[in-house]
Amino acid sequence: MAMSDEEKALALEHVPLFAGISFESMARLAAATGEQDFSAGQFIVRQGQIGTGLYIVVEGAVKVLRGSEELADLGPGDFFGELSVIDQQPRNASVQAITDTRCLGLASWELLTLLQTDTALSLNLIRGLVARIREFGEHHRH
Amino acid sequence: MSAMSQQELVDTLSGLTLFADLSRPQVEAVAHQMTEESYPIGQRILRQGFTGTGFYVIVEGEVAIKIDGNEIARLGKGDFFGEMSILLGEPPVADVVTTRQLRVLHLGGSELEGFLRDYPPVMYRMLKSVALRLRNANRWRS
Amino acid sequence: MAELEERPFPPGDYPVVVVGSGPGGLQASYYLRHLGIDHALISADPSPGGMFRQFPFFQRLLSWTKPYAPVERDHRFYYWYDWNSLLAEEPGNRAIMPDLMDGTSSFPSRPEMENNLAEYVSRTGLQVRYGCRWEGTRRDGEQFVLETSDGEYRCQAAVFAVGVAEPLKPDTPGFDLVPHYADTQPPENYAGKRLFIVGKENSGFELATGLLQWAQRIVLASPRPTKLSVNTHSLLGVRARYVLPVEDEILGGGVFILNASISRIERLGASYRVHCIRSEGGMEISVDADEVIAATGFTCPLLDLPKLGVDVFGRSGLPAMTNYWESASVPGLYFAGTIGQGVAGMKKYGMPANSGAVHGARYNARTMIGQLASSKFGVQQERPTIAPDRLLDLLLTEATEAPELWNQKSYLARAFSLNPDEGIRDDGIVPLAHFVDEEGDAAVAITVETDDTGDIHPAVYVRAQGRPAQETLLASHPLHDFRTGDNRAQLSQLLRGVTSGAVR
Repeated sequence: MAMSDEEKALALEHVPLFAGISFESMARLAAATGEQDFSAGQFIVRQGQIGTGLYIVVEGAVKVLRGSEELADLGPGDFFGELSVIDQQPRNASVQAITDTRCLGLASWELLTLLQTDTALSLNLIRGLVARIREFGEHHRH
Repeated sequence: MSAMSQQELVDTLSGLTLFADLSRPQVEAVAHQMTEESYPIGQRILRQGFTGTGFYVIVEGEVAIKIDGNEIARLGKGDFFGEMSILLGEPPVADVVTTRQLRVLHLGGSELEGFLRDYPPVMYRMLKSVALRLRNANRWRS
Repeated sequence: MAELEERPFPPGDYPVVVVGSGPGGLQASYYLRHLGIDHALISADPSPGGMFRQFPFFQRLLSWTKPYAPVERDHRFYYWYDWNSLLAEEPGNRAIMPDLMDGTSSFPSRPEMENNLAEYVSRTGLQVRYGCRWEGTRRDGEQFVLETSDGEYRCQAAVFAVGVAEPLKPDTPGFDLVPHYADTQPPENYAGKRLFIVGKENSGFELATGLLQWAQRIVLASPRPTKLSVNTHSLLGVRARYVLPVEDEILGGGVFILNASISRIERLGASYRVHCIRSEGGMEISVDADEVIAATGFTCPLLDLPKLGVDVFGRSGLPAMTNYWESASVPGLYFAGTIGQGVAGMKKYGMPANSGAVHGARYNARTMIGQLASSKFGVQQERPTIAPDRLLDLLLTEATEAPELWNQKSYLARAFSLNPDEGIRDDGIVPLAHFVDEEGDAAVAITVETDDTGDIHPAVYVRAQGRPAQETLLASHPLHDFRTGDNRAQLSQLLRGVTSGAVR
C-alpha cells in the first residue's frame, strides 16, 4: 500500500537534518520523496558509490557494513545517508537489506530544487548542521 | 598586498567556491555589500566568548583557529568564518588569529541571514561546506 | 629693508616629519610638540583646514558642536558634545568651535570649520610650512627621505595625514565624460536641469539635498539600496541631515532613487544618456540627464609609498595598519586623520567607529603619537597610581562621561594595570583591539558599546595575568548614567579575583 504524504512526513521527522523545519517545508519535502522496495539480501547502497540521497527505513531491517565488518542494524524509523542528500560524497559504508524492506528515499537533486526556492528551509538546515557540529566539539570554525 | 581595483576584487571573488554559482553582476553586488578590511599579522579577528561577531570571507592571507591557545586548523583564500556564531546566536568557541597579513570581506552579523536569502546559491555552497564539516565530525553517518 | 619671514621647517633632518595640515596633521603635530618630540609639519596647501577648505559644498558638516551642554566647555568631558574642535591640554585652546558658530545650527558650516582649524593653529602656535608639496619617498639606511617641492626631509618616522580626498571614478565607459563630486559647480548652474547623481552615500545625498530646489529632476543610482544611519544605529550610512531626497522620493516629488549599476554613459548632444542595469532582475534602463555627477568616492593619495612596501587595500587604497595606525608592512610610517578608518578595530555587529571623522581621528592621533613617542623615542608617559577604592567609580564614570569612549565606541578604551607589585596604574586611553589581544600583566579596560538593537552599554574587558582578556557587558541606562548599584556590584565581582580582593 502506498504511503500517504502524512506518513512520509512522519518518517522524515526522524531525520535530525529536518528537525525544526516549517510545516510548509516539510510538506514539500514529503511530496519529493519516493518509496523503494528491496528484497532480503539486496544492497541498498554500496561503499564507495557516490551518494545521491538519504533513505529512511519504513518496514523491515537492514545492516550497515564496512567491508565485511557489521557496524549496525537499522529498523523502521532509522535513516542513513542524510548528508549525501546535500553533498553527494562517496558512501563510506554499505547498507544491505536483511529482510524484505521498504524505504522512503529523498534524492539530492530533489532537495536541491527545493532549496532554490525555500530559503527558510536552507537556513534551517545550515543552522541544524552548525548546532550539531558545536555539539560534537569539532570546532573547525564557529 | 596591493590595492585591488573593484574589477580585480570582483575577479578574485568570482573565483572563490562560495561565490562560484553567482553571475558577475551578483558578485559585484556582493562586493558592494560587504566591506573590505585589512588586519595585520597576529591579530585576533574572532575572539572566544566575545559578542558582536561578523561574517568574514578571506580574500588574501591566512588565519589559524585556536581553542585555549591550541591551533586546530588553518583557513586561507576563499574560506569563510563567523557564520556558526551568528546562526546560533552564541559567541565564538574559538579564536581566529591572522597568521599572515589578511584581507577579508566583512558582513555584519545581523546582515548574514538576509544576505544568504538574497543569494540562495551562496547559501547552498555554505550548506555543503557545513555538511562536510559535520561529516568530518561524525564519520559513518554519510 | 623689509624683513623676510622665514618659512618654518626648512628641508633637512628631523626626528619626525608630519605631512598634511588638515585635522589629522595638526592634531598629530600638537601632541608631538606636547611630548617634546622635534618634528617638521609640512603641507602642500597655502593654509590650514585640509578637506574643509573645500568640502562639503552645500549644507553644513555632519558633525555637531553643541553650544549648550551639561559640562563646562573647557572640561575634557565637553568634547563629547563638540565633535569639531581639536584636542588640547590648555583650557584656552579647547572648545574653539562653539565660539565661531553663528548660533543658527549645531552643525558648523564649512567656512566655520575651516576657521576653527585656522584658529587652533593660531592659538596653539603650531608652526606649518605651507606650500611644501610631498612628492616622493625613499629609504636611506635607518631613515626615510621625503622628497618635496622645497627639497629633501630626512626623518626616523613620518606621519602621513594626507586625507582620502583624491577623486575616484570607476573605469566604466563614459565616466571620463562627467565631473566628479569634487568638481561640483555652484548650485545656480543646476537650475532647471535634469540631474543624475551616481552614488548613494553621503556625498551623493549631500548634492541631492543641496540641489533639491534647483534641479528639475534628480536621479540617484548605485547598486545597493540606500542605507540610512538612523537604521544602522551608527554613523554608517546616509546621515539624517541628507534624508530629504529620500522623503521626496517616497512621496513622488521628482527624486528617483535607483538600485542599479551603471553600464555606460554616453553624450547625446548637449546632454547625457546613462545606461543602467537594475540590481533586482537585471533589467536595463536608460535615463537622460542634462548633468551627471559621479559621487563615486575618493582614494588616498599615498604616492610612491606602495613601492616602498606599504601594503594597501580596499577601494580607497588605504594602507594596511597596526592597531596603532602604523603601517603593517613598513614600520616607522604612521597615518593620521581620516586614513585611520582603515584600522577596523573590533567592528562589533559590523559597526565601524568614527575614525574617518574628526571626533574619532583626533583621539586616534593622540593615542598614536603616544605610542610613537614611546616606541621610537623612549618617551614614556606618566602612569598615575590609583587607590583601589577609587577604581570602580573611575571606571563607571569613564563609561558615563569619557568622550574618547563615546566618540570611538568599542574602539578606544580606558585601561588600568593591576600588577600587585606596582599597584593600580592608569594606562590612559588604549586601542581596544590591541588591549584585548595583549597578554601581560593583569589589567582592566572599559569602553562603551552599541549592539544591533541600538542598546548602548559599558563593556568591561578583564585580563588575568598572562591570558587574553575576557568580555563582560554591563547594563545600559535610559539616561546613559552607568553608575548604577548593579553595575558597581558586577564590576566589583569581576575585579575581585584579578586584584586578590584589593578592589571591591
